[in-house]
Amino acid sequence: MSLKPKRVDFNQTWHELQETVKGVITLANIPRAIWNDRFSDVYSLCVAYPEPLADRLYDETKRFLVNHVDHLLVQVDSYNDNSDLLTAYHRAWTEYSQGIYYLHSLYLYLNQQHIKKQKLSEAELIYGASSNRDEECQEQMEIGELGLDIWKKKMIIPLREKLVSLLLVCIDADRDSKLLAPIDVICGVIQSFVRVEEYKMKGQLNLYQEAFEEPFLKASKEFYMAEALSLLQQLDVTRYMEKVTWRLNQEEARAHKFLHKSSVPKVRACCEEKMVDAQADWLHAEAEIMIKNESKRDLALLYPLLRPLPGGLDPLVQKLTQHITQQGLQAIGPLQGENVYTQFVESMLNVHSKYSELIRDVFKGDQSFVGALDKACSAIVNYRPAPKQPVRAPELLAKYCDSLLKKSPKAASESEIEDKLRRSITVFKYVDDKDVFQKFYSRMLAKRLIHQQSQSMDAEEMMIDDLKRACGYEFTNKLHRMFTDMSVSADLNAKFTATLREGDGENQLGTGFGVKVLQAGAWPLALPPSPGPFHVPQQLEKSIQAFETFYHMQFSGRKLTWLHHLSQGELKFNYLKKSYLVTVQTYQMALLLLFEHCDAIPCREAAASLRLSHDQLIKHAASLVDCKILNKSTEESSELEEDTILTLNFDYSNKRTKFRVTGVLQRDAPQDAEATHRSVDEDRKMFLQAAIVRIMKSRKLLRHNQLIQEVLSQSKVTFAPSIGMIKKCIETLIDKQYIERTANSADEYSYIA
Amino acid sequence: MKVTIKSWTGVATWRWIANDDNCGICRMPFDASCPDCKIPGDDCPLVWGQCSHCFHIHCIMKWLHSQQTSHICPMCRQEWKFKE
Repeated sequence: MSLKPKRVDFNQTWHELQETVKGVITLANIPRAIWNDRFSDVYSLCVAYPEPLADRLYDETKRFLVNHVDHLLVQVDSYNDNSDLLTAYHRAWTEYSQGIYYLHSLYLYLNQQHIKKQKLSEAELIYGASSNRDEECQEQMEIGELGLDIWKKKMIIPLREKLVSLLLVCIDADRDSKLLAPIDVICGVIQSFVRVEEYKMKGQLNLYQEAFEEPFLKASKEFYMAEALSLLQQLDVTRYMEKVTWRLNQEEARAHKFLHKSSVPKVRACCEEKMVDAQADWLHAEAEIMIKNESKRDLALLYPLLRPLPGGLDPLVQKLTQHITQQGLQAIGPLQGENVYTQFVESMLNVHSKYSELIRDVFKGDQSFVGALDKACSAIVNYRPAPKQPVRAPELLAKYCDSLLKKSPKAASESEIEDKLRRSITVFKYVDDKDVFQKFYSRMLAKRLIHQQSQSMDAEEMMIDDLKRACGYEFTNKLHRMFTDMSVSADLNAKFTATLREGDGENQLGTGFGVKVLQAGAWPLALPPSPGPFHVPQQLEKSIQAFETFYHMQFSGRKLTWLHHLSQGELKFNYLKKSYLVTVQTYQMALLLLFEHCDAIPCREAAASLRLSHDQLIKHAASLVDCKILNKSTEESSELEEDTILTLNFDYSNKRTKFRVTGVLQRDAPQDAEATHRSVDEDRKMFLQAAIVRIMKSRKLLRHNQLIQEVLSQSKVTFAPSIGMIKKCIETLIDKQYIERTANSADEYSYIA
Repeated sequence: MKVTIKSWTGVATWRWIANDDNCGICRMPFDASCPDCKIPGDDCPLVWGQCSHCFHIHCIMKWLHSQQTSHICPMCRQEWKFKE
């Protein structure tokens, strides 16, 4: 055949074509040859001479399709209010939609050449450039689209009410696991609402949403509401939550099964609204009881239900914070006895790990609950039993660390110690007054280092590293310097001994000798009570002098101050049946050496020859009397007086041949803690003043409130100062003329250069 | 001998011997560091001049660098020489 335009008799051609169209739309068998002929008929009509007959073809086809669908409607509608209607509709739709798809191919030429040309471009559609064109002449659609549009207008719209109410009945039956119609029928009918508009560029889901989704959600809401009410009457909270969880999953699965995927979240939200949100008050009230009883199972059910609600978890978070705080305070409240510090830290850690576990298991590690735990722990750790009392945690924590790091007969293994120390950092992070902890810790560390009581240097360093990680370099700076001093001293001693060995024989000291040289500022040490004229035992004098000379050779411009109350010596007792090796303080050593030429000395004389005050002497003598190395002339219980005569106890015996006499200062004095708190206060004032000066120096001019804020933010790493304290520091600085109030405003300060 | 000393472990602290408490340049105590440092002690040592005046080493170096012509002690205006 020729492609040339020719004269065509429309009626005749259409008559033939119509037969085939009818066959195509009803999925009848069409031989290939006929298909090809009809395909070229469409072509010939479109290019017909003298004028193309495309518009007429289009109109006729449209009329035909309308008739066809009208006919189908009557058929489908004859099944009255029965699920048969759905099946019939579905059957008709499946056939029609498939047929229209083929028909579209048959009219390919018309679609491509005739209709595409007059279609609006995509840009015109989007920007609506020619909106009035639609109204003037109805736009022609491609045949596939035309078919779907006709289906929508002639089939769905008239049947809409019936179809939807049948669908709702079917889905409702599915909830009771009854099947009124096959799943693919229900699904197919719902899909047809989507499919007939799929070719559109926008608002593809309009029909689906308007015709089906909206009534469906409305009906579902009513269903959920009714179910929630009936469940509430029958079940307790646990069962209710189980049921709701089950229902939510069911509904979601059902939505996946039947509906368009855009509806799934809507269904879930709808179900949550009616079954959870509407009962939120009751659930929150029940949640308080669950938290109180720590019933993990109930909370695990409740958490996923409440999580999607905006603010749904807030009451839980609050309640949990309260609960943990209460539990924690109960755990640390009644502590007393020797090892309060261990009990404190360990019960604190128990509380922490118990609830972190709960939060991990039940609340899936939700950040807001982790926050609740942190808030509660910090409230427990920083709890003040009475407003004026200092918080106990920093001191107890430092003591706990000390007890772990100190040498002791029943010490745990190294790895166990490191583990415990690492865990104690958890508590440390909650401490507000980190500077108080630091003070206590550094004092205890100093004692451990000086008296060589550290269990393990590795553990010590690990702890300091951990503190540094938690609080920064400034915080552990002094602790590090203490460590450095220890290693510098070790080097120094080695050099000193080497120097002595090189010298001539006279320089040998005859006794073991070691010195720890500490940098004055870095160590939290009080100066000796009277650094003045203590008479160093003659046996030591030479060694000390030799060391001083050596030290000045090494470092010029430095002065050494001896801290005899921290020094100690090992003595060998030769006057008893057995010989003993005893470690004592330097003062006690000097006192014992006095007995070389006599067996009894009055206190007064002893004090004079050692050049100590009476008070000091009795302090040191008392511990020797207490452990029976010395006897005193007065009665058992009374104090040592100036006239009391001290005698050497020749009957002394001890099971151990090597032991240590605990010095006065090594014991923890109760005023120690108080002094520590006082010195922390002083340090805080200095810190705050320095901070204020720094801030004012850079800002020059600042309002009172801003200044307070800046100071607070600078100090929050180590402690939380009271506003009153900051104000006092500002006053002090005004008195010292670092800053002044400005003339024009009452609450503004300026920096005085 | 009734009692003999086997060994002795002494403890001593050291501080700078200076003719003044404060550095004449930065006015900070010698026991503290100069304003540019954070840690006093070995990291921020003192130096003595032959005129016997003493400063934080960082302070006097800064002063000497700022002088164009002659190096003099900021306290006594004599020529500055480090004491060996």
